[in-house]
Amino acid sequence: MSLIQTENLTKIYGKGEAAVTALDHVNIAVNEGEFVAVMGPSGCGKSTLLHLIGGLDRPTEGNVRIEGVALAEMDDDTLTKLRRRKIGFVFQFFNLIPVLTAVENAALPVMLDGVKPAEAKKRAAEWLTRFGLGDRLAARPDQLSGGQQQRVAIARALVSEPALILADEPTGNLDTRSGDEIASLLRDVTKKYGRTVVMVTHDPRIAAYADRIIFLKDGKVVDETYLERKNKDNAQVLTNVMERLSD
Amino acid sequence: MNLQLTLAWRYLTGRVLRTTLTTFAVIFGVMVIFGMNIVLPTMMEGFKANMMAAGGVVDVTVTHVTTSAFPAEVAHKLDGIPSIRAYSASLERTVNLPPDFVDDDPARPDRISAVNLVGVEPEAARSLQVYLIDEPGRFLQAGDTNAAVISQSLADAWGVRLGETISLPSVDGLTELTIVGILPPRTRPGNEEVLVTLAQAQAMTGQPGQINTIRIALTSVDESARAEAVAAIESALGSDYQIGSLDPGSEMFASLKLGQAAFNMFGVLALFMGGFIIFNTFRTVVAERRRDIGMLRALGATRRTITGAILTEGLVQGVLGSLIGLALGYLLGALVVRLAAEPMKSFLNINMGRPVISPALVITSLLLGVGVTLLSTLLPARNASCVTPMDALRPSVAEVEYKRRAGASFIAGVVMIGIALIGLVSGNMGLIALGGLLFLGGLILVAPLLLRPIAWAFGHLLAWFYARQGIADLAQGNLTRQPGRVTVTASATLIGLAIIVALGGMTTSLTGMMGDLLHKTLGSDYLFIPPSIAVWNSDMGASPQFAARLREVEGVEAVTSLRFAAGAVNGQAVSVLALDPQTYPQVAGLDFTEGNEAEAYAALASGRNMIVNGAFLATLGVKVGETVEMTTPNGPRPYTIVAEAMDLLNAKVVTVYISHANLAADFGRTDDVFIMLNLKPGVALEDVDAQIKAIAADYPQFTVMAGKKYIDDMMQYMNAVWAVMFFLLIFLSIPSLIAMMNTLAINVIERTREIGMVRAVGATRKQVHRMVVAEALLLAAVGTAFGILAGLYLGYVIVSGIGVMFPVAYQFPLAGVLAGLAVGLLFGALAAVIPARQAAQLQVVEALRYE
Ligand SMILES: Nc1ncnc2c1ncn2[C@@H]1O[C@H](COP(=O)(O)OP(=O)(O)O)[C@@H](O)[C@H]1O
Ligand SMILES: [Mg+2]
Repeated sequence: MSLIQTENLTKIYGKGEAAVTALDHVNIAVNEGEFVAVMGPSGCGKSTLLHLIGGLDRPTEGNVRIEGVALAEMDDDTLTKLRRRKIGFVFQFFNLIPVLTAVENAALPVMLDGVKPAEAKKRAAEWLTRFGLGDRLAARPDQLSGGQQQRVAIARALVSEPALILADEPTGNLDTRSGDEIASLLRDVTKKYGRTVVMVTHDPRIAAYADRIIFLKDGKVVDETYLERKNKDNAQVLTNVMERLSD
Repeated sequence: MNLQLTLAWRYLTGRVLRTTLTTFAVIFGVMVIFGMNIVLPTMMEGFKANMMAAGGVVDVTVTHVTTSAFPAEVAHKLDGIPSIRAYSASLERTVNLPPDFVDDDPARPDRISAVNLVGVEPEAARSLQVYLIDEPGRFLQAGDTNAAVISQSLADAWGVRLGETISLPSVDGLTELTIVGILPPRTRPGNEEVLVTLAQAQAMTGQPGQINTIRIALTSVDESARAEAVAAIESALGSDYQIGSLDPGSEMFASLKLGQAAFNMFGVLALFMGGFIIFNTFRTVVAERRRDIGMLRALGATRRTITGAILTEGLVQGVLGSLIGLALGYLLGALVVRLAAEPMKSFLNINMGRPVISPALVITSLLLGVGVTLLSTLLPARNASCVTPMDALRPSVAEVEYKRRAGASFIAGVVMIGIALIGLVSGNMGLIALGGLLFLGGLILVAPLLLRPIAWAFGHLLAWFYARQGIADLAQGNLTRQPGRVTVTASATLIGLAIIVALGGMTTSLTGMMGDLLHKTLGSDYLFIPPSIAVWNSDMGASPQFAARLREVEGVEAVTSLRFAAGAVNGQAVSVLALDPQTYPQVAGLDFTEGNEAEAYAALASGRNMIVNGAFLATLGVKVGETVEMTTPNGPRPYTIVAEAMDLLNAKVVTVYISHANLAADFGRTDDVFIMLNLKPGVALEDVDAQIKAIAADYPQFTVMAGKKYIDDMMQYMNAVWAVMFFLLIFLSIPSLIAMMNTLAINVIERTREIGMVRAVGATRKQVHRMVVAEALLLAAVGTAFGILAGLYLGYVIVSGIGVMFPVAYQFPLAGVLAGLAVGLLFGALAAVIPARQAAQLQVVEALRYE
C-alpha cells in the first residue's frame, strides 16, 4: 500500500466566470521512503497539490488517502492531530514564530502534542544538533541566516517523527549554496532517517536530488520520470522537460 | 513553562508600548472603581463617628420617628411596665464646634471637632449605668446648674482639671460649665460626651420640657422576654416612636450613596472603554499574527490551543492591569481622602480617618478588571481560532469591505435615535436615561453610512493642506474602504469625547445655576454660618435673642433666619426648614419653580402651608396643591404644598419650608441655625463690621462672613472641583488614543504591499508618512464629529435629568466642545506617530515581497 494516494483530486477556486481550476483530477501515489519532486511552471497547481495532501485545505472533488485513511472523512481536530503526528511541513518562507527561539520553534509540534516542554526541547535540540545548529539553540529567527532558518524548519518538521515531510519550494528563498545544502539535507531525510519526502520546486538543479519527478501543467499530471542517480545530466534532462512544458 | 503562557508572555513583552497602553486602559478602570470605593466609605466612617450616638449598657433605646425631640411626659407612659427594670430620659445633641475651639491652636489639627451634649436626670441615669468617678469628683446631682461631667481624655484635650470650667456654644451664647466629675478616658469610637443635667441641656439647646431619647434596661435579657418588653413599650408609646438605635442624618448617607453610585458609573464606563480598547487591540494582534497563527495550525495546534493562547495573553494582561490598578487606586483613594479632608471638615465638620478597604472591594475590583479583559479577548480569540493553516501560506490581499450591510442597521440606528428623542420630550427620568443609551447605540449603527460623507468633507479640507500631493485622496480612500473597522475605532473616540462634552455641558449649566442660586438665596450682606451646613441636626442654633441684638445695630436694615427640625412624611425623613415669611424675602429668597412667590410666602404665614423642593416632590410623588400628613413630635399635622422652590444649601436633601410660627407650634423649636443680614442702602461693611463681630463673638458656633466673600469662596471651590473633574475626563479619553493607534497599525500592516508599491513608483518616505498622518487626522475628525454630537445630546439629557430635582437651564458647553475638538485632533496626530514611522521606514523590496 502506498503512503499517499490521491483519487481524482480536484480543486477549483472561485465560482462561475472567475473559477480557476488549480488541480484537475490528479491521481498519484507515493511509496514509503521515496523522495518525490513535483515540478511545473508557476501557477500549475503544485502548492495546491501539496496543501491538499497535507490536509491544510479541502479538495473540491476527489480524495487523499494517507496510509489508506481518507482525509475527507476527518473533522478538523482529527485532521489537526494527523498533521501533528504524521506530517511535517517545510515552506519557502520558513514560517518560524518570531518570538520563539530556534529550539522552541523546533519543539513546537511535540509541545502542541502535550509532551513536557523539557522533553520536547531535548528532542528538538537533538535534531538541530544533527543539522549543525547545536550552538544556535537559543537564537531568535531574526538572528539566523536563511539557510539556518530553513534547517530549523526541517528540524521542526522532523521532531514529531512523522512518516511524511512535505516541502514547498524549500530553496526558493535561498542562495545557490544554501539551496544545495537544504536539498541534500532533505535527501538525507529519506535515505538516512527513512522518511518520505514530497518536495515542490521549479528548479531542475534542486529536483535532481529526488528519486522521482512528477510534472504538472495546468493542474494535470503530464509526465513522470525516475532518476537512477543524482548527476549533472539529470539536471539537464529536467531542464529540457521544463522547457517543453512551458511552450 | 506552558506553551500558551510562553507565547503570551513573549508576545506581550515583544510589543511593550502597545501592551503598556492597553493595559493602561484596564489599570485606569480598576483604579477609578477601587479608589472611589475607598473614598466614600471613608467619608461615611468619618460621618458615622461624628454621628455615633452613645451606646452603653442599654437594652432598648426609644426615639421619635422623626428623630426630633418630644415632650418629657412621654417617658412616664413607661411607668408600670413590669419587664422594665429602669429607664432614663435624656436630651442628646451633637454639638459641632468651631475650628480650634478646644485646643485654641490653629497650627494643630483639631482632635475634637464636635462633642455630644447629653442631658440626663442624674438619679435615673445612675439607675441604668454605673459611672466610675474618682474622688473628690462626683456625678451630677438634681438641681445642679452649669455643672458637667466629662471623660479624662476630653479633659486632657481641653487642658482642664476638676473644678475648672469649659465653655460650650448654646442657643443663648457661650455657656460656662464647671467640671464636677471626671470619668475614665473614652475608648469607644464616636464623639466625646459632655454630661449635664436634663434641665441644663434643655436650656442650652432652647428646648424646654423636651427629651429625644429614652434608654431602657430590662429585667431579663433573653430573646422572648425582650420581644415581649418591646411589644409592651410599643403599645404604650404608639407608632410615632421607634425602638432601636438612633440614626440621624440618614439623608446624608443617601446622598453619599448617590455620589458613590455616580463614581461607580464613571468607573464602569472607564472599564467599558478599557474592554473596548482591549478588544480593538486583540483584533489588531490577531490580524498581525495571522501568519504565525496559521503556521501553528499547520503544525498541529488545534483551534482550542489557539483560543487558549490568545485568552492567556488577555488573562496575563488583565491580572497585571488589575493589580497595578489596585495599587494606583489605593493611592488615588488616599490622595482624594487627603484632599477632601479640608472641605469635609469645613463644610460638614467631618473628620476623615484612614482609608477604609474591604476585602470584598478588592475582590470585586479584581474580578471586574480581569473579567472585562477576558470578555473583550473572547471574540478576537475565537476569530483567531478560525484562522486556517492556508492563511499562513497564501498572500492575504487586504480585503476591501465595500459591503453595504448598512441597510438594516442604519434603519435600526435611526429608530433608536428617534426613540431617544421622544424619551427626551417625555420628561420621564427613566425614559430620558434609557434614551441616552439608545442615542449612543443608534449613533454607532448609523455611523458607517455617514462615514463616507464626513470623510469626504474632511478629506477636502486636508486636500487643501496637502495640495498637489495626491495624498489626501489616498488617505480618504483608505479610510472609507473599511467602514466597519473605522466605525469601531471612531466609536471609541466618540465615547471618550462624548463624555467630555456631555459633562462639560453639565458643569457649565450647573455652574451657571449655582452662581444664580448663590446670589439669589445667599446674596445678603452678612451670613452667619454654622459648622455643618448640610446636617442641620448637629448644629447648635441660637435663640431669637441673637437675631434681635443684630437687628438693633445701627445701619442694619433686616435680619432673617432659618430654623430646623426633623420631620417625616409617609415614613420618609424630611428636613423641615422654617423661615420668617415677612423678613426672609427682604434679605434672601428661594428660587421658585412652581407657584407664585409672593402668594407662597403669604400662604406660609396664614396656616399649615409649606413650600417644598424638587427632591421632595420627586421622592414622595406628590404635586403642588396636595395636602400631606407631616409626622411631628406632637403627632401628625396636615400641611398643604403651595409652591415648589429651593435654596442652595438644601438643594439635594428632601426639604420643606414652613413658617417660624408653625415650627414652634408643631416641632417646639425656636433656635436659629442660619442667619442672614442686610445693611441699609449706603451703609458700608466697615461701618458695622466691628459691632456685628462683637455680638457674634458670644455665639462662636457661627462663622460670620460677608455674603460676597462667601459666594466667592464657594465659586472658587466649585471651580476647583470642576477642574479636577475635567482632568479626570480627559484622562478617561486616553484609551481612545490607543484604539486609534491600533486601527492605523492594522491599516499599515494590511497595506504593507501597497505601501511598497507606492514607494516603488516614487513616493518619498515623507509622503508615505504624511499619508498615514492624514488618515489619522481623518479618523480623528470622524470620531470627534460624532463624539461632540453625542456629547451635546448626552449633556442635555443629564441636565434635564438633574432638572427633575432642581431647576437648571441648559447652557451650551463651548469650553467642553473646544476641549473635545482639541483632544480629538491631538490624539489623532499622536496616534499616527508610530504607525506613520513604521510605514515610512518599510524597505521597498521587503514590502513588495510581504505576503
Ligand atoms: N486562494 C486562491 N484563490 C484563487 N485562486 C487561487 C488561490 N490559490 C491559488 N489559486 C490559483 O490556483 C492556481 C494554482 O496555484 P498554486 O497551486 O499556488 O500554483 P504553484 O504553486 O504551482 O505556483 C493558480 O492559477 C493560482 O492563481
Ligand atoms: Mg507555489
